[in-house]
Amino acid sequence: MSVLLEIENLNTGYNGVSVVRGLNLQVSEGEVVALLGPNGAGKTTTLLTASGLVPIISGDIKVFGKSIKGRRPHLIARDGLAHVPEGRSLFYQLTVAENLRLGAAKGSADVKKALGYFPALEPILDRRAGLLSGGEQQMLAMARALTVNPKLLMVDEMSLGLAPIIVERLLPILRQIAAETGAGVLLVEQHVHMALQVADRAYVLSHGELVLEGDAAEINKDRSLIQASYLGGAK
Amino acid sequence: MNIKNWLSERLKSGRSDKPSPETVNPVPQLTRNLRAAFLIVSAAVVLWAIIDPETRTNFVSGSGIAQGALIAAIALGVVLTYRGSGIVNFANSAVAMYVAYFYAVLRRDGDLFLPPLPNPLAPIEGVLHIFQDKGAWTDLPDWPTRISLGNEVSFWPALLISLVFAMLFGLLLHLLIFQPLRHSPPLAKVVASIGLFILLPAVIIRRFTIQPFAVRSMPFYKQDAAPLKLPFGISIGADALTIAILVLVLTFALWFFFQKSRFGLSTRAASENEKGAVLLGFSPEFLGAANWVLSTLITGLLGIFAATIQRSVDPGVLPALIIPALTAALVGGFTSFGWTTFASLLLGMQFGLIKYLEINHHWFFKSGGTPLPGGERLIPLLVIVVVLYLRGKSLPVRGSLSAGRLPFSPTPSQSSRRYLAPASIFAVVILALFVLTPPFRLALSNSLVGVILCLSIVVVTGYVGQISLAQMSFAGISAFLVSKMTVEAPIRLPVFFTDYHITVIPHMPFPFPILIGGFVAMAVGMIVAIPALRVRGVNLAIVTLAFAVAVDRVLFANKSINGGFIGAKVDTPNLIVGARDVQYDFLGLTAGDGLQPNPLTAIFCLLLVVILCYMIANLRISATGRSMLATRNNERAAAAAGVNVAGVKMLAFAISAFIAGVGGALIAYRSGGVTTDKFTFLQSLTFMAFAYIGGISSVSGAVAGGMLVSGGIFFTFLTNILHVPSEFTLILGGLGLVFAAIQNPEGLSGSLRQQKLRISQILTTRKRGSDELVSPVGKEVGVDS
Repeated sequence: MSVLLEIENLNTGYNGVSVVRGLNLQVSEGEVVALLGPNGAGKTTTLLTASGLVPIISGDIKVFGKSIKGRRPHLIARDGLAHVPEGRSLFYQLTVAENLRLGAAKGSADVKKALGYFPALEPILDRRAGLLSGGEQQMLAMARALTVNPKLLMVDEMSLGLAPIIVERLLPILRQIAAETGAGVLLVEQHVHMALQVADRAYVLSHGELVLEGDAAEINKDRSLIQASYLGGAK
Repeated sequence: MNIKNWLSERLKSGRSDKPSPETVNPVPQLTRNLRAAFLIVSAAVVLWAIIDPETRTNFVSGSGIAQGALIAAIALGVVLTYRGSGIVNFANSAVAMYVAYFYAVLRRDGDLFLPPLPNPLAPIEGVLHIFQDKGAWTDLPDWPTRISLGNEVSFWPALLISLVFAMLFGLLLHLLIFQPLRHSPPLAKVVASIGLFILLPAVIIRRFTIQPFAVRSMPFYKQDAAPLKLPFGISIGADALTIAILVLVLTFALWFFFQKSRFGLSTRAASENEKGAVLLGFSPEFLGAANWVLSTLITGLLGIFAATIQRSVDPGVLPALIIPALTAALVGGFTSFGWTTFASLLLGMQFGLIKYLEINHHWFFKSGGTPLPGGERLIPLLVIVVVLYLRGKSLPVRGSLSAGRLPFSPTPSQSSRRYLAPASIFAVVILALFVLTPPFRLALSNSLVGVILCLSIVVVTGYVGQISLAQMSFAGISAFLVSKMTVEAPIRLPVFFTDYHITVIPHMPFPFPILIGGFVAMAVGMIVAIPALRVRGVNLAIVTLAFAVAVDRVLFANKSINGGFIGAKVDTPNLIVGARDVQYDFLGLTAGDGLQPNPLTAIFCLLLVVILCYMIANLRISATGRSMLATRNNERAAAAAGVNVAGVKMLAFAISAFIAGVGGALIAYRSGGVTTDKFTFLQSLTFMAFAYIGGISSVSGAVAGGMLVSGGIFFTFLTNILHVPSEFTLILGGLGLVFAAIQNPEGLSGSLRQQKLRISQILTTRKRGSDELVSPVGKEVGVDS
């Protein structure tokens, strides 16, 4: 099982001020990893840095074994890193089908495969993305990420603005994707318990530093650990 | 109903990131287009049946179609660059002109002309006079002006070379200017393209002349061949038919390309959401560059053909076609190629029609017995107003990684708001008047007037963020009114259906016309502000520019207003007449050296400058000033915090137009007459340039901008002391503007302030390492960004 994403001693942030400090993190093939933590912990910044959208201050990130330092974000994406960012970044003016077609460089087979995971999108292929409901938009964002045949999928706060019931339905699909395509999944989530149920391992960030790391099932068992890390008690 | 269904229903109705209704229209695009097309075709058929054949042939004429094709060339380029990189290129007409010149020169002389590069040796020579023995300063070694390819070049090679040049030109513009501005606020983008708009014609005029340049004909058709007879009594030249077909084919190709190809799809995607496109592996930089190249290619190609039909390119006329082109692009919503071309052709064809109506129909609007001039320039303004009114928000708002920071607007220091600064400026300038030579005294007056006009831009654009490109129109209205009030007044007009006459413009003694001019300009400014309540950013820039062109070509071109050949006179009190050799003896001191210009003119200007600057500096720190900045930053947030956004915008336009009106009145009084050339739309753009280079968001910036205006202190220094030729004024202005937009959005005064901050920081903090973490800019971010 090879390591897809390797974050080594990473310092990253904005305008020279570190938001994440000394982070070490790995995601391997076929594995679902949850990245948890309270607001402002640096989860989204970590994902943005891995995609190349935020520059590294120090440390290193290796995606598929290659350091991303100095590489342009769209080239990292072309290597097979799919990132569903916060706010989904859908193209509202384009139809669902066009949104999917943009990702699928190789043709309609990829689109079909992605639709296989989200069959609810099939009847609305001709609708503009802007007209979809929140849940449908999230499905489209994930389906679009799948059309590029990602080796590593990063999903940022997919639950934002969605009812817990929808999240409950969407999260297990990530597990399924990892199992069937062998892709690694890095998941940032505020619904801690739901996330821990689908993840293999979890990292908990607080104020930019790693405070907890381990097997998802174990962390899920001992709620006090994660509560302490969210409320600032763990050190 | 179970809870899951209920929840999903709730989710549908109350989703968090619902796009605004304008961006998503429930009626499919094609159906809407078909419906509109049907309406237009039936309206055209009805009109066709009603109007007489002669009007018809004047409407569908070869020259009209060529004009329409030229407008389409510019408009299609504008739409392409907007879709590809989010830049509304105000300079695209200048690009068309530049490429057409390139082709024309290649055909006639076989030369590739080079832009004039400022000679770095010139200022040194100006002071040291090393080469003076050989004659004029121009004898010093200079850059080459052209690369000769030998004799004249025949059509196909010339076309090919010109198109390659057009593509390289587009790439260069993208890489050097617009790529760095991708994440800047709309103001910086508009300003950069205005810089280009000023720069390119200036380069052409410097290299050639202001006269039109003849363009050789193309090999496929004979010039002066008999026009083809088409059905319905239309006769049209083969050249016009060629270009019409070329335009239609290109439009269809663009539509097909954007609709069907992956490149088109990704351009549409990236223009809406850059982050999403990057994460899917598309490079917005590449897409932007490709669209720029495509844009200049199409603009250049059609520009060359249109120039061939018109047989010349005119550096004075062609750039103004940006207004109908922007109008057409606006009709196409800055996305639809088909609608853009359709509107372009109509807008081009109406030129001929209006001219025909002007001459041949007695009912056409008259002014002083002759037909009202410039009617064809009024049509684009009307179309813009109607389109913006119907559509509300016409430019789709682009998403990008970051919105970019607006230029910082500093709080004026305590001393400048109270008495110290005004008093010291007064003292310095009055002292200077005793020392300065006449040319510099003139420059000082020019700069002082410039300060007032820059100040008017600071209020509306710097404080409230509304881009107004019509400031000189406000100034001109006031100036011509001053002329009427002092010379022709009282002007009486008959009341309809009665024998009574009412005095429309009463005679006014100095200094009241200044105030009245200001107030009338203010009223006009408030009318222009009405669209500002609905549109913002680039759209407002387009409206105000169209207004400026209309005022320029309709109102100021009107003989009963501009006084015809002799110009409009102004009766100036003897004390401040500029052209008077005066000497005043006062308490044993002698003021003035008995040479023109009159030093009291400068003092009179200074008085107004100090009063206005003082008031605007105080406005900035008042509650009103804070609500202005809040509105500039985020209209929604400002409204939520209780700011009356509409009121603030109105107020800003009113104050700004008033100041511009005072400036216009001052110009009138100083020069003893009003000429139209001081108040053209190009002048409005130039003043925007100088205000921006000076620093658009502060009073000190306006002062710096005033020093920079043409004929002001800075350029007088360049020409009189360093002997840089005055033709470089516009070239340097344009270049400076482009540079300022990219490198230094806070202008000269901003960089001076930052230097001051840096120095005081170095003085206060002994530790050297600390200033890297806390930069002086960093401190300001929290205040206003």
